[in-house]
Amino acid sequence: MLKILVILMSVGLSAIELRAQEPETRSEDFGNEVEQDAWVAPRGDKVASMLVVASESAREIDQLVADELMRLGQVPRPEIDDYTFCRRIFLDAIGRIPTIDELESFIADDRPDKRPQLIDALLNSKGYNSHWYNYWANLLRVKNVGDKLHHAGNFSEWIKDSVRSNKPYDQMAHELINASGELYKPGNGATGFYAREPMPLDHLANSVKTFLGMSVECAQCHDHPYEDWTQQDFYKLAAFTSRTKLRVDPLPEEEKETYAKDRKILKQRDFDEWIVYRESIRVKHAAIHGNGTGFTRLPHDYQYDDGKPHQVMAADVLFGNMPEVNYRMSLAKLAALPKNRFGPEINSRKSMADWMTAEENPMFTKATVNRLWYKIMGTELLGPLGGLSLDTMGAHPALSEKLITIMKASHYDTKVFLSALFNSRTYQSKALGLGATPPTYTLDGPVVRRLSAEALVDSFLSLKTETPDKYVATEFRWDGFTNFYEKSQSMMVEDFVDYSIKGPGRGAFQRREEKEAEGRNGKVGPAELWRVSTFGRNYTKHWVSMLMGKSNRELIDDANLQPDIPQILYMMNGLGIPKHGLLHRKLRSAGDRREKMEIIWKAILGRLPKDSEEPLTENAPDDIIWALLNSNEFRFVR
Amino acid sequence: MNRREFIGSVGMAGMSLPFLNAGSARSQSARAKSVIYIFLQGGLSQYDSFNVEVDQPVLGKSTIIKSNVDGIRVSHYYPTLAKQMDKILVLNGMKTNQGAHPAGIYKMLTSYNPRSTVTHPELGAWVNKCLTSPHDSLPNFVSIGNGRAGSAGFFPGQWAALPVKDPDKGINFIQPNKSVGEASFKKRLDILAAVNSGFEQDYGTKDTRSYVDTYSGALKFMGSEDIDAFELKNENPRILSLYDESDFSRGCLLAGRLAERGVRFVKVNLGGWDYHDGIYAKMPANANRLDKGLSSLLTHLSQKGLLDSTLVVVSTEFGRKPEVNPNMGRDHHPNGFTCLMAGAGVKAGQIYGSTSKDGKEAAEDVLEVNDFNASIAWRLGIDPEFEENSASGRPFLLANKGKARTELFA
Repeated sequence: MLKILVILMSVGLSAIELRAQEPETRSEDFGNEVEQDAWVAPRGDKVASMLVVASESAREIDQLVADELMRLGQVPRPEIDDYTFCRRIFLDAIGRIPTIDELESFIADDRPDKRPQLIDALLNSKGYNSHWYNYWANLLRVKNVGDKLHHAGNFSEWIKDSVRSNKPYDQMAHELINASGELYKPGNGATGFYAREPMPLDHLANSVKTFLGMSVECAQCHDHPYEDWTQQDFYKLAAFTSRTKLRVDPLPEEEKETYAKDRKILKQRDFDEWIVYRESIRVKHAAIHGNGTGFTRLPHDYQYDDGKPHQVMAADVLFGNMPEVNYRMSLAKLAALPKNRFGPEINSRKSMADWMTAEENPMFTKATVNRLWYKIMGTELLGPLGGLSLDTMGAHPALSEKLITIMKASHYDTKVFLSALFNSRTYQSKALGLGATPPTYTLDGPVVRRLSAEALVDSFLSLKTETPDKYVATEFRWDGFTNFYEKSQSMMVEDFVDYSIKGPGRGAFQRREEKEAEGRNGKVGPAELWRVSTFGRNYTKHWVSMLMGKSNRELIDDANLQPDIPQILYMMNGLGIPKHGLLHRKLRSAGDRREKMEIIWKAILGRLPKDSEEPLTENAPDDIIWALLNSNEFRFVR
Repeated sequence: MNRREFIGSVGMAGMSLPFLNAGSARSQSARAKSVIYIFLQGGLSQYDSFNVEVDQPVLGKSTIIKSNVDGIRVSHYYPTLAKQMDKILVLNGMKTNQGAHPAGIYKMLTSYNPRSTVTHPELGAWVNKCLTSPHDSLPNFVSIGNGRAGSAGFFPGQWAALPVKDPDKGINFIQPNKSVGEASFKKRLDILAAVNSGFEQDYGTKDTRSYVDTYSGALKFMGSEDIDAFELKNENPRILSLYDESDFSRGCLLAGRLAERGVRFVKVNLGGWDYHDGIYAKMPANANRLDKGLSSLLTHLSQKGLLDSTLVVVSTEFGRKPEVNPNMGRDHHPNGFTCLMAGAGVKAGQIYGSTSKDGKEAAEDVLEVNDFNASIAWRLGIDPEFEENSASGRPFLLANKGKARTELFA
């Protein structure tokens, strides 16, 4: 199987080629493709069966869609040609257009199963890791937040690790909901999800929206106006997570015994020393504490008849089966205590994670398939991404049911699920321009949709280089925070004092840690050849992708795919494709005008010029390149 | 034909700037046509600037100087503005509920506390949405300099500020690439139109058309006479000579030029006020920028006869503590701080509100952030209780239940 892939993608997916030659070797160079990768060794059976499962699932999807079209008396959409398929699958699986080499080698391939083979290769490539990191990082809103020490590097790496190891999504969600402990401990980055927001009730509402696809935030302050949720329902759910908090300083006793004295002395002496002291201690100690007491109290202004302000509430789920909660105190006993008491910690947060991510929780799987269908097809399967209700099954309930079954059967393996979608004839149908002269849309395939900001910007890379995925990391990346956290484990109290007094000062302290971390990571290659996901590691705001509408990760589903004037001005007057890049090199070695024009059309739009476009080919190559890059066909996937 | 005429004449007629959507919400009684909103990110030290009517120790190393108005005195760090206090209303009783920078900035600019389930539009975005009319050829919300760029919150992105990082460079990419000749640019647009129309036939959607419209808007904008506003060198030499070369002063000059052309809300950012240590070594340079830039702007607006219709606002997320700490800095102080207003008929040459003499809290005529923002909106003729729903249907008010303090205006 590997050999076939190597032939198929001999130029474009050089990662695969190199892996096949030297599977054991590992390089320090971030840019080098050679790596240990889970899928190389155990491949064989596992992946072969994944292909079989996916193709069976794909046929089942297609059958349901065909039945529905028949019932409605609609003609099935035409199947897309290889050019359209190649561009679309690259964008949907790995988040960029194919390079011209990748496109040509796919077109030239004459095996009958070349589409499933390409899908499989892409799902197991580094490009996948980059593209789907962006997806999850946007959904989970990875960013540095606020004055309090919350640096999202470790969180970001946790997501990257999860994508690389293809961690089942239910496990990923469970780890996020139940995360606790040190923020900057390597591998413990799931804590970043809780640290992401300072207000526990907002965090809960966002968790419900993220994992269950439901909007309950109204019930934080009053009974939900259109849904069934009451404020009391919300507080009962919140009881699972009560007393969970981000604490950046050491615990009070430890603070008092070990750090407080020096802290005070330094604060009186020198601001810069004090800050270094405080922050270095915080990097060691910042942590999510508490894991739920299973009780909460209604708010001070509770206004409904079914409860009183400050009344104690035991945890309860919004719907479905109550998970096991091992209380160590009775509700009656707690109710007799003063109003700021919530009972002892019992890890009820884990109980909530069990409930939320259980296969029996219908909303968890519904929300997941609804999101992934939306990401791939561009439309809602069941309803609004963050606004599902309990009983909704969408416009085609049997199809929804089938996709839910596929997701469960895969044990929340998103690659298997995506493979089923990608291999379906439904996915490989002509895209519908919704809103032009719309026929009834029956969930029978993708709609025309704009590329995500990240995919748009990463697609420029496919015009610049043969290896656009070269600088996607294949292993944990250290940053200044994880680096110092590790260092701090063997540090005594005096060491922190030395760090502040004899150290290089605040700015230099942080720069040094960052530099050491970079040293551990090896070389990273030139930034102009990084994919957008790689910039996330450094927390440099990637301004071109922000201009293209990248989510600023304030809110869930916060990306903006609408145009604005600054974005268009950049596309018209700012964007440049370098002359030494792949596209121009190809053009220089091309023969006649016809050949040049085919190169431009294939490289940018992934197809040959149409007959009707023949007159356009008389123009200068640079003018055509500009026009195609500015065209809707480039920024939309069809 | 020069480039501008040419671009202006490029087809796609009937398209308007996507900025232009809402109907006018402006009432007849409005006095301000434009707001120039200077935001001092970091937290201005009120006791080292415009609130010197407190106990001597509170003033730290600031000394008191007289101004050109009897009864108004300021810190010696503002000698130029001291000669213009007759144009300024000093608000010494400001109060906010936020003591950390990100939350404080968010509160000041949006009237709401930050939440992670919704983002709120900045005041500038509300103004943009309420006051934009189909005749406008410039965006009505412009943000100059570094700092929070001017978020539209839950409004569509079109109501966000047009960012201008460097006032001397103007709008990014407003000119066609220099290597592209006029004929070539026209050819490019022709090819683009042909490729787009082919795509539109097979795959057109509301979104693809919205892109086509925005290209027309961008081209119209590139060709608009009004973008001359961004060419600072074209200003009358007499006005130019009022300003020094600092980025902030250049930003004020640009703001004045935009207000002259009817832009409704121009934010000028001047950050760096967070002096937890060494305030008296570090602050004077920044104070000097504010002193010079704001003075020049006030003179500029008066000379052009614009001060009467332009509300100039100076705000900051919170103030600084009355005590100077052992590191010779001042820490955050939300309980009583200072903002300024000028123009548009404010009660100039007066002080409104005060802190207790020990400087610990706002005492008389306390002005909370929401009321402050409501007053600005009211002066523009916008109802501070103007309501919009977020995407999920939650209703939000422009000034979050703030009430306009009409007594600030004559």
